[in-house]
Amino acid sequence: MIELENVSKYFGDTRVLDGVTGKVNQGEIFAVIGPSGSGKSTLLRLIDLLDTPTGGTIRVDGTDIHAEQRNLSIRRMMGMVFQKPAVFNATVAENVAVGLRFRGASKSEIHTRIEEALDMVGLAGYGERRARTLSGGEMQRVALARAMVIEPEILLLDEPTANLDPVSVATIEDLAVRINRDLGTTIVFSTHDMYQGQRLAHRIGVLMNGVFAQVGTPREVFTLPASREVARFVGIENIVEGVVVGENAAAVVDAGGVRIRARSPFEAGEAVSLCIRSEDIRIAVADGAAAAPGRNALPSTVTSVVPRGPFSRVTVDCGFALSSILSWKAVDNLGIREGSRVVVSFTPESVHVVRRE
Amino acid sequence: MYEIVEGFLEAIRLIVTLDPDVMAIAARSIAISLTATIVASLIAVPLGAAINFGTFPGRKSLINLIQTLYSLPTVIVGLLIFLLISRVGPFGFMRLLFTPTAMIIAQTVLILPIMTGLTISALSGVDPVIRDTLRSLGATRLQFLVNILKEARFAILATVAVGFGRAISEVGAAILVGGNIAASSFASSTRVLTTAISLETSMGNISQSIALGLVLLAIALGVNLAITTVQHR
Amino acid sequence: MHVSRYINLIIMHRRIIFAVAAVMVALMLICGCTGTTTDPTPVEKQQLRIATTTSLYDTKLLDHITPIFEEKYNAEVLIVSAGTGKAIEYGQRGDVDVLMVHDRAREDAFIADGYGINRRVFAYNYFVLVGPESDPAEIKGMQPEAAFTAIREKGMAGEDVVFVSRGDASGTHSKEKAIWKGAGFNYSTDVQGSGDWYQEAGTGMGATLTLTNEKQAYTLSDIGTYLAYKGDLDLVALVDEGDILLNVYCAMEINPEKYPDTNTTVAKDWVNFLISDDIQKEIASFGVDQYGQPLFYAAQDDWEKIGVTEAEVKDPIA
Repeated sequence: MIELENVSKYFGDTRVLDGVTGKVNQGEIFAVIGPSGSGKSTLLRLIDLLDTPTGGTIRVDGTDIHAEQRNLSIRRMMGMVFQKPAVFNATVAENVAVGLRFRGASKSEIHTRIEEALDMVGLAGYGERRARTLSGGEMQRVALARAMVIEPEILLLDEPTANLDPVSVATIEDLAVRINRDLGTTIVFSTHDMYQGQRLAHRIGVLMNGVFAQVGTPREVFTLPASREVARFVGIENIVEGVVVGENAAAVVDAGGVRIRARSPFEAGEAVSLCIRSEDIRIAVADGAAAAPGRNALPSTVTSVVPRGPFSRVTVDCGFALSSILSWKAVDNLGIREGSRVVVSFTPESVHVVRRE
Repeated sequence: MYEIVEGFLEAIRLIVTLDPDVMAIAARSIAISLTATIVASLIAVPLGAAINFGTFPGRKSLINLIQTLYSLPTVIVGLLIFLLISRVGPFGFMRLLFTPTAMIIAQTVLILPIMTGLTISALSGVDPVIRDTLRSLGATRLQFLVNILKEARFAILATVAVGFGRAISEVGAAILVGGNIAASSFASSTRVLTTAISLETSMGNISQSIALGLVLLAIALGVNLAITTVQHR
Repeated sequence: MHVSRYINLIIMHRRIIFAVAAVMVALMLICGCTGTTTDPTPVEKQQLRIATTTSLYDTKLLDHITPIFEEKYNAEVLIVSAGTGKAIEYGQRGDVDVLMVHDRAREDAFIADGYGINRRVFAYNYFVLVGPESDPAEIKGMQPEAAFTAIREKGMAGEDVVFVSRGDASGTHSKEKAIWKGAGFNYSTDVQGSGDWYQEAGTGMGATLTLTNEKQAYTLSDIGTYLAYKGDLDLVALVDEGDILLNVYCAMEINPEKYPDTNTTVAKDWVNFLISDDIQKEIASFGVDQYGQPLFYAAQDDWEKIGVTEAEVKDPIA
């Protein structure tokens, strides 16, 4: 178990981490996601003792790792793979053997373990090749085998797929899941790809402005973002500013004169942001049947229709801008084009209300 | 022109027939400069590593100083060593003046700055991810250093070659502390390629000079060729 | 123990190892070729360090006699060739065991200061004033002092006359200065730096002759070096008579009282060796085959002529 308590790191005057607090449970895959430069790598490096925090404590199984004299033995509990695939200028087998050599493993043990590790990452038979001649994806698998051959309790992956082609990304992701499942290794990985976080992680920590803006399951993070910034980062397109005017549970929010019903724990007068996923917004022609009861139904004017893959992104003005995703066919059936009068509707449950900071 | 052609032909003959004088001088040059290079490497590589990975006040200035010393004039080194090891100097009791040992010392001192500096460059040229990887794999300080040196081995090798090239081709210090002695035994003589060329030219033995010059050139080119081959593999 | 690991290492680094091995083999071959010249005598040889004036070295007289000495005394002779000034400097610093020089006045000072003892005169010859065949200063057959005066006059007048001086505080340089003095000039004010006609080479006798030849200039040389180099030179001896041209070579020990670890035994052997009858004969005949005339005269029987005591040429050091 890794506990982060108010961890901060400054590089000169630059504040990279400013009080990160969180917990990674034994045996889970924990993703650190966040925009580029948010300090994801720094956090992983602090855990791996490659850097020293400016403040706060990091505990592994209860031990403050940066306060310890025996930090070599703590580091040896962990393995790390870096963003840039980097191999030693030697054979693949020698690369994988390095960590075992450091630990004084016997010749025969090294031999067996190398075989196993290479087999695990799908590079059986590559042992005698010169590592520098491999592709980026293969190098990263060597790096993974090299980190795993020492059977670490914690595996740290710092944006391990950022520089790789899609096939290699899938291979590495698959390996990470298998390592966690089969060996029970706790994995902490960083990524700027929120979908990768969603695919792999049991829990996600969203690192923003030097702190965890939110820690939760992928479902929590994606549907119930803790802040406007997190909502923006996890891809919620409609974020509307407003003020709570109704009472609890079925609050009414005034957004620039438009009243929207939503579920909200906030008191009246609270400034909030409303997060509405495009997928949850329906569009109907203006003179059609009334929207189902209970839904927010807002008359609007279409301002743009932009193709996006097999869908179209329809943006309307209903006092504020809202976007919805429709199939091409739906757009055709509704006869929507710029300037069309429409009614947009969404349920109060699909509106996620967060406090504005 | 005639002199050059004639000298050149005679030089070729001296080399092809393995003229004992020329070969002995060449072998002595290699032996002295190789020893100096090995000694300098044994000092420069750990020193360079200590400076590169160390954190201490004045580190930057020290690196600057080392780089300034690249252009240490050979005669200054020669003079300095001469004054130190001459009979009346502080180390005079060791009776090192006019011995191959003196030349080894002078050449070692001469190439130490450039070898240290290039070692620092070689080590700082190692990919930071490689450094992080070694540490994350749980390397002790020593294991870390050994593996970084292994990773920088070709650059270090090039450093050694540069040192050897500079040692074998310098004349100022060699003549001052060596004395260009041609004794009857190989080990007592201090006549090397550069000092011999200097002497033979002043004595008008142009062909001998050209022969020695060609050997020196061949050694210098050979060393660089070997290094380039190794590096490009 | 980890044999296969080493084999792997060897395979991995085989090219480097091969390169190193190649160099080592080459070294051994070279050393092997020349190694045969090394004496296998198990007894450790005594080393004798000599600082000599370049004229004795460049004529190859020492190359001729040192093997005889080395064999007879089972010693190894290490010769540093330098101008007399530098040789004396080495002597003063205690860096050598024996000095072989040719500058009576400075030798006297050296001995008076307590650095040198047991001086013995072993050879002499004459200096010659050499110059181009065309002799633009018209000095042929003159007395040395008059010839110097003429060269200076023509040189100062801007004619194509150049004098190359050793300019290196050597014995020859001292002699040159003595001649200028004898001709009535103050060396440092009237000669040195008085014009482009007077140039200082700052190097050994052989190199100075080569330089003089390139410039087709005049220079003062000992006859030995001149004869040894004559074949490569277009310079002729123009002035070779006059008492002042006498050139006397001596050898002396460095005073062990100044430098206790001076190798006195071998140093004594060497000085006595030089004045021994056999070597005196060798000196007198050296170069006759090659140049048709001797490069040096034995000092043994001519002590009166060269103005030294009989003891200085004949009495072995005790």
